[in-house]
Amino acid sequence: MRDLWDGLPLIAQGLLTTAALLLPIVLIATVLLRGFHPWPLVRALLWRYRWANLMFVLLIAISSGMGIGLIAQERGLRVGTASAAEKFDLVVTAPGSELTMMLAAVYLQPSDVPLLDSAAYDRIAGHERVEIAAPIAFGDSFSGAPVVGTITDFVTYLSDGRIEGRLFQSTREAVIGAVVPLSIGDDFTPAHGEGDSAEHDAHHGFEIEIVGRMARTGSPWDRAILIPVETVWEVHGLANGHLPEEGDRIGPPFDPTHFPGTPAVIVRATELWANYALRSEFTVTGESMAFFPGTVLANLYRVMGDVRQAMSIMSIVTQVLVAASVLMGLYILTRLFQRQLSMLRALGAPRRFVISVVWGYGVGLLVSGTVLGLGVGFAAAALLSRVVTERTDILVSATIGWTEVTLALGFLSVTSLLSLIPALVVLTRSIVENLHK
Amino acid sequence: MPWADPMPLPLTVSGLMVQTRGGRQLLSVPELLLPAGALLGVRGPSGAGKSTFLHSLSGLLEAQGSVRWGETELIGLPSERRTMFRAQNMGLIFQDFLLFDELSPQANAGLASLFTRRAARPMVARRAADRLSHLGVPQGSRTVASFSGGERQRVAIARALATDPAILMADEPTASLDRTAADRFIDDLIALVRESCKTLIAVSHDLHLLERLDRVLTIEDGVLTDDSGART
Repeated sequence: MRDLWDGLPLIAQGLLTTAALLLPIVLIATVLLRGFHPWPLVRALLWRYRWANLMFVLLIAISSGMGIGLIAQERGLRVGTASAAEKFDLVVTAPGSELTMMLAAVYLQPSDVPLLDSAAYDRIAGHERVEIAAPIAFGDSFSGAPVVGTITDFVTYLSDGRIEGRLFQSTREAVIGAVVPLSIGDDFTPAHGEGDSAEHDAHHGFEIEIVGRMARTGSPWDRAILIPVETVWEVHGLANGHLPEEGDRIGPPFDPTHFPGTPAVIVRATELWANYALRSEFTVTGESMAFFPGTVLANLYRVMGDVRQAMSIMSIVTQVLVAASVLMGLYILTRLFQRQLSMLRALGAPRRFVISVVWGYGVGLLVSGTVLGLGVGFAAAALLSRVVTERTDILVSATIGWTEVTLALGFLSVTSLLSLIPALVVLTRSIVENLHK
Repeated sequence: MPWADPMPLPLTVSGLMVQTRGGRQLLSVPELLLPAGALLGVRGPSGAGKSTFLHSLSGLLEAQGSVRWGETELIGLPSERRTMFRAQNMGLIFQDFLLFDELSPQANAGLASLFTRRAARPMVARRAADRLSHLGVPQGSRTVASFSGGERQRVAIARALATDPAILMADEPTASLDRTAADRFIDDLIALVRESCKTLIAVSHDLHLLERLDRVLTIEDGVLTDDSGART
């Protein structure tokens, strides 16, 4: 049975789950409404207590929407961070924390990291299974955008060759990420450091011209300014990786005697399978550390998985509290119109009809709240995605999926079942007593 | 639920007693006979048991003794069967109308069509519209929220008669109306009941209404006496 379920397409699983969750509502509706037409009275009650009803609908919508939005956002964040790391198959750095190194090299989060020396770089760049060995040098910035030194092969690889203008060809040229607020042809002088502690005139007189712009990658590199790695070395007064007689040449190969070191090397293997061997080869105790950003993320997601579970439980607890409030509210509201309900009984309306009116009224509120809640969840996820994207430059696009729909329908199904309680309670009261209230 | 032509239903009451849970007697009717089509009024001071009498005859209250409408013994029937009996045979008019303000006069008068079987719905709705028209109630999309008291009570008559019941019960039907509206209501009610040979039992303080009825009984301290002062 489990195999059969697992073998179904995701959409079929979603549709079947939806149908199963809606089944109790359909069954109750079929039993209660058979032969009756309570809707004019349901509409009358909805309209009579419209402001109270609106409050209930908003209460349901906001509580379920926030839960849905947060869960969708968490998933969107996972997808976004994974997607942003897609181009980083293997990263080699000096030994340390994989997470710190990944945040620095992949997500461009400022961090003091040790350098790999020329021997380590040569071993990586000279390996027969390595197609690209891109040294990364960071630590400078301009107007909040990190300035990262690298090589043209990596820029081409990162942007899939989608570059407006051209690649840099000298140490005084740069390519900018898609969202950097500069234009091709603009000049800038990088500041030393990033954020509030940046020294704006540390590299005074070192003008760099922007010659190209990468297409959007959905990663923090969209906010980065990419310059030749030689430029980074030069502005810091270091050797530029080449013999003095080579002049302004940029790109590999680098001369080992003039290689000042690099915080990280992004490696692309000739074949995907070779990455595992390379990771093993480039992990040398006390010298270098190779890791898959995807694996580091997977470990991170494992921790986040617990958070996700906690969020789901919190969301369910909130929903239960809201459901209890809604049922209490329904009970109070039914007391407000119990005279009319007793009048119906006095006129000869069967119990089932009166239950169908109260239940229809309650379910009307619950369905409206849940549908609106999905909308609120979608809006909350979109808003959070925008905020996270703006703050991290990781393209997060959270959408409402089957998980969220299932959560909302589960809430609807349970509360619809429970809203039979106020409907039944109404019938326990004396018709005559209610008529005289 | 069948909506057949109403059968004439004479009323036979014997040994009817209603008590509170604590055992205090609210109503005692040793015997009462009412032929089908008769118009009966019941008067008495507030709290004397008039409404209790009406509710006992309509099966809304649990009582002891016998209340027989035609061949149907109402007391002892399960609650849902009593409800069905009311739906088929009784129309009720309340002191403060109990209309749904959000609905049109047609929807209010045709309320029973919402819980009757599908095939009978058009008939109930048509009869409700006919009664409203007969009573001169303005029809249209306007709700009854803006109606005067007189108009609202006429809608309530139309609602009570929409299922063409054999018995009409009215509980203080003119108490919420001014004199002019009450007199018009009484004219309409008596005319409709006489025309259609229905049994009417009306609880009221209103002498204008009571003097138009065939017979008037008085309740005092839960005990029913006739106009001569003798116990029924």
